[in-house]
Amino acid sequence: MLASIIASGLAAGAIYALVGVTYNTMFSTSRVMSFTAGQLAMLGGVFGSLFTLKMGLPAIVGFALTLVCCAVIGIITEFVAVRPVLKNLDQHLYVLSTLALALMIQQVAAIKWGTEPQPFPRLVGFGSGVFDERFWLPVVACAVTIVGLEVLYRRTLVGRAFLAIAEDNFAARALGLPERNLRIASYALAGIVGGIAGFSGGQLLLAFFANGALLNFYGFVPVALGGLGNNRGAIAGGLALGLFQQAANFLVGGIFSSVAVFTLFIVVLLAAPQGLFGAATARRV
Amino acid sequence: MAVSRRELLVGGAGALGAASLSFPMPALAQTEPIRIGCLAAMTGPSSAPTIGFNRGVDFSVKAINAAGGVKGRKIEIVMRDTQGDPTKAVNATQEMISQVKVHGIWGPFNSGEALATTPIMARAKMPDIHPCVVESLIDPTKYPNAFRMAPSNSQWDDAVRNYCLKVLKVKKVAVIGDTTGYGVTAVGASVAAFKKDGADVVYQANIDATQPDMTPDMLRAKNAGAEVIVVWSVTTGMEARMFNTRAAMNWDVPFAGHPSLASGELAGLVEKPENWKKVYAIGYKSCSYDASGKLPPKSEELVDRLTKAGVGLNDTLLWWIAGGIDAIELFAKAVEASGGTESAGIIAYLNGLNKYPGYFGNYTFTPTQHNGYPTEEIVMSEASTAKNGTFALAPGYS
Repeated sequence: MLASIIASGLAAGAIYALVGVTYNTMFSTSRVMSFTAGQLAMLGGVFGSLFTLKMGLPAIVGFALTLVCCAVIGIITEFVAVRPVLKNLDQHLYVLSTLALALMIQQVAAIKWGTEPQPFPRLVGFGSGVFDERFWLPVVACAVTIVGLEVLYRRTLVGRAFLAIAEDNFAARALGLPERNLRIASYALAGIVGGIAGFSGGQLLLAFFANGALLNFYGFVPVALGGLGNNRGAIAGGLALGLFQQAANFLVGGIFSSVAVFTLFIVVLLAAPQGLFGAATARRV
Repeated sequence: MAVSRRELLVGGAGALGAASLSFPMPALAQTEPIRIGCLAAMTGPSSAPTIGFNRGVDFSVKAINAAGGVKGRKIEIVMRDTQGDPTKAVNATQEMISQVKVHGIWGPFNSGEALATTPIMARAKMPDIHPCVVESLIDPTKYPNAFRMAPSNSQWDDAVRNYCLKVLKVKKVAVIGDTTGYGVTAVGASVAAFKKDGADVVYQANIDATQPDMTPDMLRAKNAGAEVIVVWSVTTGMEARMFNTRAAMNWDVPFAGHPSLASGELAGLVEKPENWKKVYAIGYKSCSYDASGKLPPKSEELVDRLTKAGVGLNDTLLWWIAGGIDAIELFAKAVEASGGTESAGIIAYLNGLNKYPGYFGNYTFTPTQHNGYPTEEIVMSEASTAKNGTFALAPGYS
């Protein structure tokens, strides 16, 4: 039982963590919590199944095409749901615009892809039982993604520009950084991260249009637990959420596991409103 | 003789009235087509049954009209795409009643739409035949015009319970559903009925259909000693995960339950084909083949006719096609027997049906019982044996 809790808990947690990173990536350059994050992950599974299973393309080609498609959806999000409301961030119109786009993505997926879950192919063919690839693949994908993002942010000029925009938008612009282009790039990057989450978790979650709403929800929890904009916090929060959720599934079961998860979530936020890994924001007075 | 203006007016009106009485009424009512409205979710997520039903409707209408119609009157289908949306179904119903003036309605095909349209049809006394399963849709007092020609939820429940207790002869039962309104209601009703029949419900649960790992619930059911797992869900993803988990646990417990356990999509979702064995889904005698691969004679004859007419069978279910044929034929017989398209006559005819031999089943209606499908014709099928829209009978039937 313990092995099963750890295997499926870490796998689900890694997917939640990647969705949390998707939220953070979009947030860092725009200060917008885009509720399309879960839909991007859902599309990762749907596009992955479409390219590799239905169209029969090699897994690596299907993976690349999936990431391209998700990046495009990320860019569309920036143009359609984020840019028009950036001038009025204090009115939180982005909640409405990104939720509306998320709903549109979900409905189009339901109509074009179908409302029943579709199979996702085995990619590597290695492992069985608790070491089945559907459990370890999301964890590996999560680890590779976070390392890649660390390299991008710490070792490359573009990554540092992302950080500069995230740190102080006005100062970065004053230094001549192309803020708009960097924001578009960050949304494409978020699409790629979401696509990785969906593709790597496809065997676990299947290619199912309703996964978007679920991942929107469970992906938001690590962001809140780990602190907004904090990727390391999102990873820790996501993995903890997955493990706790799976343990609750075993111990209390079904509907009550969701109750247990959100009870803990509320308790943590009451104790640490800025998140477990977030620092209290300094306010200019 | 002087004639006053008042006398002239009265006389003129009287003459006009007498003259109009002497003109024969046009016999339009006896020659116009029999218009049957069809509320069909032709597009959208719940369109699969409609595709099958419509093939039956088209086949039946062509056959009746080719044979000269009903007492010389052709059947005309007025089809409206509801997209599975109750709002669109309501609009289409109102249009059919007040503008198109149909003589009867076939559908809608899902309970969500029917819950919205049934009261409207009842107010208009519009004869309605539908295949929706929700119990409250049939109430001869409130809805004397509504007739169900497919099983209700409780009939499905009876069939599954009887199979588990009388054929599989198990005593310890696990009942699992999803967290939708349907899943919760169906699990509650099923558990209560099993307990009433003396079975020991050792485990019951409602699982979020998107839960990625079913091991926790399957393990609890196994530890509780379940000898069969009864499933009430329409979510194939959840069902496939349960089958795969059962295989991973090396557990050979049978599954029995909702017709979706036999959904073709499961073939792609199970990790190995054998994971889908020992799964028994609700089916129907008329659409189940025996050990020799034969359907009942009447169904064999129907399949032959459908094949000759080029009606596709391999991507739908035979009972949907048969149900569509039966619905149209019931309306046609009602018009023929009652001598017209008056709703009272059609309803009176349907109320008097006793084991009417349709292709899908033998229907019986009375003024106080509008659930027409006989429970004894509901059987369990081997879920993974689909062949031209039919299934093999589950083990235990002679």
